[in-house]
Amino acid sequence: MIVCTNCKHINMDGAMFCSECGAQLTGSDILTTQNMSIDSIEESAKQASSSPKPTPAVALNTWITLHLMDTGQMLPVSDRSEFTLGRISEGQPIMPDIDLSPYQAYANGVSRLHAVVKQTASRIWIMDLGSANGTYINGKRLNPNIEHTLNNGDIIALGKLKIQVLLKTS
Amino acid sequence: MAPERMDYYALLGVLRDASQEDIKHAYYEAAQRLHPDKNQTAGETELFLEVQRAYEVLYNPKRRAQYDATLPKEETPLLFIKDKVEYSRPNLVHLDEPQLIYVLLEMSPRNVDEKIPAPPLNLCLVLDRSTSMQGEKMDIVKAAASQLMRTMRSQDIFSVVSFSDRAEVIIPAAFQADRTKLQGRIQMIQTGGATEIYQGLEAGMQEIRRNLHSQRVSHLILLTDGQTYGDEQACLQLAEEAGRQKIGISGLGIGNDWNDIFLDALTSRTGNNSAYISNPQDIKKLLMDKFNSITNTLAEDMLLEFKLNEGIDLNYAFRLQPEGGPVALESPMHLGPILQDTPLTVIFEFVVQPSAAKSNQANLLDGSLKMAIAARPTPAPPLRIRFEQSVSDTPGDVPPPLSIVRALSRLTLYRMQEKAREEAQAGHYESATRHLKNLAQHLLAQGEKDLAKTALLEANHLERMQSLSENGGKEIKYGTRALLLSAAEVSK
Repeated sequence: MIVCTNCKHINMDGAMFCSECGAQLTGSDILTTQNMSIDSIEESAKQASSSPKPTPAVALNTWITLHLMDTGQMLPVSDRSEFTLGRISEGQPIMPDIDLSPYQAYANGVSRLHAVVKQTASRIWIMDLGSANGTYINGKRLNPNIEHTLNNGDIIALGKLKIQVLLKTS
Repeated sequence: MAPERMDYYALLGVLRDASQEDIKHAYYEAAQRLHPDKNQTAGETELFLEVQRAYEVLYNPKRRAQYDATLPKEETPLLFIKDKVEYSRPNLVHLDEPQLIYVLLEMSPRNVDEKIPAPPLNLCLVLDRSTSMQGEKMDIVKAAASQLMRTMRSQDIFSVVSFSDRAEVIIPAAFQADRTKLQGRIQMIQTGGATEIYQGLEAGMQEIRRNLHSQRVSHLILLTDGQTYGDEQACLQLAEEAGRQKIGISGLGIGNDWNDIFLDALTSRTGNNSAYISNPQDIKKLLMDKFNSITNTLAEDMLLEFKLNEGIDLNYAFRLQPEGGPVALESPMHLGPILQDTPLTVIFEFVVQPSAAKSNQANLLDGSLKMAIAARPTPAPPLRIRFEQSVSDTPGDVPPPLSIVRALSRLTLYRMQEKAREEAQAGHYESATRHLKNLAQHLLAQGEKDLAKTALLEANHLERMQSLSENGGKEIKYGTRALLLSAAEVSK
């Protein structure tokens, strides 16, 4: 075996480049390296990282929180008693109230206008808006355009995007 | 011209020392393909009869011996192609732990000056017309398709299919005379609907199958900007069938939303690859590049049938030239085409287990390479491929060949991004970020400033959002892949 001098990763005998850090392990010095300033690169990287994190504002009148199960993120919702879920893409006439595209909505098959959630006096319900890949509550596919009651802890799925619904119990 | 003698072994596509079992198997396969009940193109019935004759002779040991006696002693070298094999190490070592060895296989035109006439094409363009293509993208695709059509020669067969969640044949496969009228039909394509790639592939394959012929290069070019849902398996099966019928499938992905892993899997089943078009303005250029390389075909998809010996694992295979792309590891392997001006170069990574490194010789891979040379009417005989290396007590002190070092220095980068993407997918964000940062460092060292920057930004994105951005991931993947190609060209 060969131990990489750069990162101490153990590589198999006969390896020519470290599989962990990519450093050259053996052989000739035919590959030349270039010196160049990395300041400019670090600069632009810094700029990118200084853009604010999507930290959700904590509001007191949050009545529902969406827990994105794949990434563990929480999306609290307040202010409004009705909102649509979907993803925003170019040239779209009607925008969803909550854009799920940062959470791999596209890859998971979320439609542009996927579903609507509404709070009424007696209950909270969800309705599929005729999405391509369907809306599910706890694994059961919903008929589109029909209201379905949501309970605390239900797991809904928009296409393959799983979201746990946390309701404020009052 | 003296009539070329039919080589019975070449007809069946088996090696001279093939077993009775192999011959029977090859015959059944050929018979299924060429049977008069099924074949559609002219000349196949005659070929079927020849294959039958070959089988009757070779399957009978007595007649086979008689026939063998009439053959020249040595296997005649291939007419158009020469092969070269290089190893990363001069010898293996007797070791009680696994060891690695890299093998570089290069198949190149035997005589570069001798121009072989470019084969006629049977080409189908399959165009995504889903809602997301609306606007500039669709306009450019239409213009590019029209331009491609004008470039077609009179002997080429051409068809166009558009698809969303169903497919329409815009231009049925035929020799196209009235091109102005056809251009009008392309202009009429309207966007709308979802993306179901299977629909488009199916219709496109049907158009191509109307004119399947061994002396015509059949190829399907898929242009898409979206992901397909639920029909991936069906698509892959279709591609496998295409691979058997020698129909090439290439993919051009526009923008950020298409699934590159799926498109790679699809195209690699026919020995081709996918390309990433970040800017719609590049559609025309990439489509023309693709067309030029298809017209330049010397041998279509080279098929490597192989078996690995005990204690040998084939870890990885990658085509460096003519178009860089991963190669699926199961036998038969679709290595890809040889072009008239560009050799086919594939690098293999083998793991040799201690059990295989006991004797003085390690046999890595035994196989035969089957090819169809488009310009040649009779089937070319398969080429025996054997990778083997001696084993001794001490490692040799000969440095690895330059071509392998160059290729691996770049392949290492490609594999690092592959690893990082896999890890990000599996939720191991920390190691994914680390690998991306390492990658950025190496890219910088090799002078690839822009790509290094992309990798670094992507590492940041990963830390913040716990996912890769769609465009960054693709840019790094296809960027490092392009580096591989340039490495292969430099070593020429």
